[in-house]
Amino acid sequence: MPPTVDSHDQRAPGPEAQGRRRALAILVNTTVAIIGGAFSALLGVFAVRPARGAVRERWIRAATLGELTANVPVPRVLSVPRPDGWYKARARETVFLVWNGQREVKVFSATCSHLGCQVLWDGEGKRFRCPCHGGVYDAQGQVLDGPPPRPLTTLDAKVEGTDESVLVRV
Amino acid sequence: MGRLLAWLDLRTRYQTARHVLLDEEIPAGTGWVFTLGSVLLGLLSIQLLTGAFLTLYYAPTPDHAYESVRFIDSTAAGRIVRGLHHFGASFIVVFLVLHMLRVIVFGSYKPPRELTWLSGLALMGLVLGFALTGYLLPWDQRAYWATVVTINISKLAPGAGEFVAGVLQGGSTIGALTLTRWYSAHVIILPALLVSLIVGHLILMRLQGSSGPVRAKAGRPFPFYPYQAARDTVVVSVVLLAVLFFAWQGTPPLEGPADPTDANYIPRPEWYFLGLFQLLKYFPGKWEVVGAIIVPTLVGAVLALLPWIDRGPERDPRRRPLVMGLVSIGLIGVVALTTLGWRDRPVNADAGRWTMREIGGRAIAASGGCVKCHSDTGMADPLETLALSRGTEWIAGHATDPEMIAPGLREPPTVRSEREVAAIVAYVRRVSRQPYPGFDPQLETAARVWARYCVGCHVIEGDGGKDGPELTHAGSKHKPDELRLQITDPEAVNPAADMPSFSDRLSPEQLDAIVAYLAARK
Repeated sequence: MPPTVDSHDQRAPGPEAQGRRRALAILVNTTVAIIGGAFSALLGVFAVRPARGAVRERWIRAATLGELTANVPVPRVLSVPRPDGWYKARARETVFLVWNGQREVKVFSATCSHLGCQVLWDGEGKRFRCPCHGGVYDAQGQVLDGPPPRPLTTLDAKVEGTDESVLVRV
Repeated sequence: MGRLLAWLDLRTRYQTARHVLLDEEIPAGTGWVFTLGSVLLGLLSIQLLTGAFLTLYYAPTPDHAYESVRFIDSTAAGRIVRGLHHFGASFIVVFLVLHMLRVIVFGSYKPPRELTWLSGLALMGLVLGFALTGYLLPWDQRAYWATVVTINISKLAPGAGEFVAGVLQGGSTIGALTLTRWYSAHVIILPALLVSLIVGHLILMRLQGSSGPVRAKAGRPFPFYPYQAARDTVVVSVVLLAVLFFAWQGTPPLEGPADPTDANYIPRPEWYFLGLFQLLKYFPGKWEVVGAIIVPTLVGAVLALLPWIDRGPERDPRRRPLVMGLVSIGLIGVVALTTLGWRDRPVNADAGRWTMREIGGRAIAASGGCVKCHSDTGMADPLETLALSRGTEWIAGHATDPEMIAPGLREPPTVRSEREVAAIVAYVRRVSRQPYPGFDPQLETAARVWARYCVGCHVIEGDGGKDGPELTHAGSKHKPDELRLQITDPEAVNPAADMPSFSDRLSPEQLDAIVAYLAARK
């Protein structure tokens, strides 16, 4: 049995000394717990929630209506900022612009909903074909055949300005 | 509960550890002044913890160090963690000095505690090593230029100067190799040494026991826990709250990104090196080595030899006039040098003011091709939100030929004059660290004219070409009409003038703006 703390106080016991001792022990333990807790919380927040970088919604000019043909998907490569912490990375993303002949443009992501390959436009068959596993979509991005579980992703788009710019939200 | 603890104790003997750690006997009369070592232990723990977590986001390369530090500062938690680490360092220096003074005044280094004293001095050296290496890591202007000074000072070391400087620098210039080795020292090597030395220092302290008051007081010794521990807890809490207050109130400093080509930057050391910085000023030329190396080495040697200089058993400071005199002189010297250094510290004049070139650069960028892509609907971020840490060459290259940086752009590059590119570079670098404050539209027009034409040959406040006369005080020498005539028809003023006429290059508004600007420069 190792000697305990009380071995010191047995020499000067007295209920008053005991009370003081207990109060001080509580003071020390509580303060240490509070400091430890506060720092754990601060460092925890710092560690698990990194800043999101400068993520903000943006509309990128992809084309003008003059460059498009009605009802024919036209591919465009957009350079999309992908903030990665302090690292200013950019991703190249292919989209298809489908103009309805009026002032409306539908924009599809070229990424197949199956496993992420890039679909191609088959002008003769008038459909999107995925080279990887044979997924087939119609000109509206709906699945016609093959394994894709969902239609092609549609991105928000609008036509603006005197030069009829097509803006795509990324 | 009791049975669980008994089970645990049988297997871990934690009660023994607890007894060894906490029930140390403290001499009667040991008071508040003996809490300083615990304060240092608390502060160093904070540094180790915050430092370890800062490495989650810090990238030790010249391309990314600065931006990763700014990334840390972009959240409140990040600012506080970095603030604790930054301000905590200053607190450590202060409490290190206080702890050392306590040991000297109480004669606590006397036998058998000489090795405790020496290990403490070694710990102080390590702390200075931390301060020096940590200063470089943010890779801002302060960091870079302070390191230039440090490495140049190390070249003064007699005999081995170039070798020491080469080891510190790593590569042929201060750059990637310097940053990685100082980073490695700061986060791996020095912390390992620090922890080992602290453990050694504490073991020695416990082996010899606390030195206690100068004259043994009547009364029984008392256990460390909870009596002295309570004092430690109170003082440590107050100090940690003070560090937290600083971290909460002030964002730790971060200047513009390191720019090795910026000849105008005046480096300033951290406040605790100001004394050394001041000392150097008294030893110019070939005597510099005295201030830089010899005096600090002598001070260190005297401190290390203190237990052998002050040999007697007497611990009362009133009866140790030699040591107390030496220490007082040393202390007064350090305080005086630091104060003089503080008052004499160089101030960077350009800290808040925008130059005409920078203001003009904004107008040139706005009217040129830049905003085609750098806009809310463009491919790239607006210039105001870029917060770019790229160097001058990169920005100039990109402004001249955007395809160089972003291949495949459909916008044709806008060809510009060299001066316009220089103005855009100046603007982008400034707006990356300070938001555009906005100026009077006429001044902005004048700035654009200045940055496009005048700056090639004329100087205002140190910026510009030297071929023509300086125009810093143009308005006090010339009336507005004279200035106007000089610009539109220089040969009418002086038939031998080299200056071309600008009458057909400036619109009436531009002419009015530049004349009004120059006339107002008294």
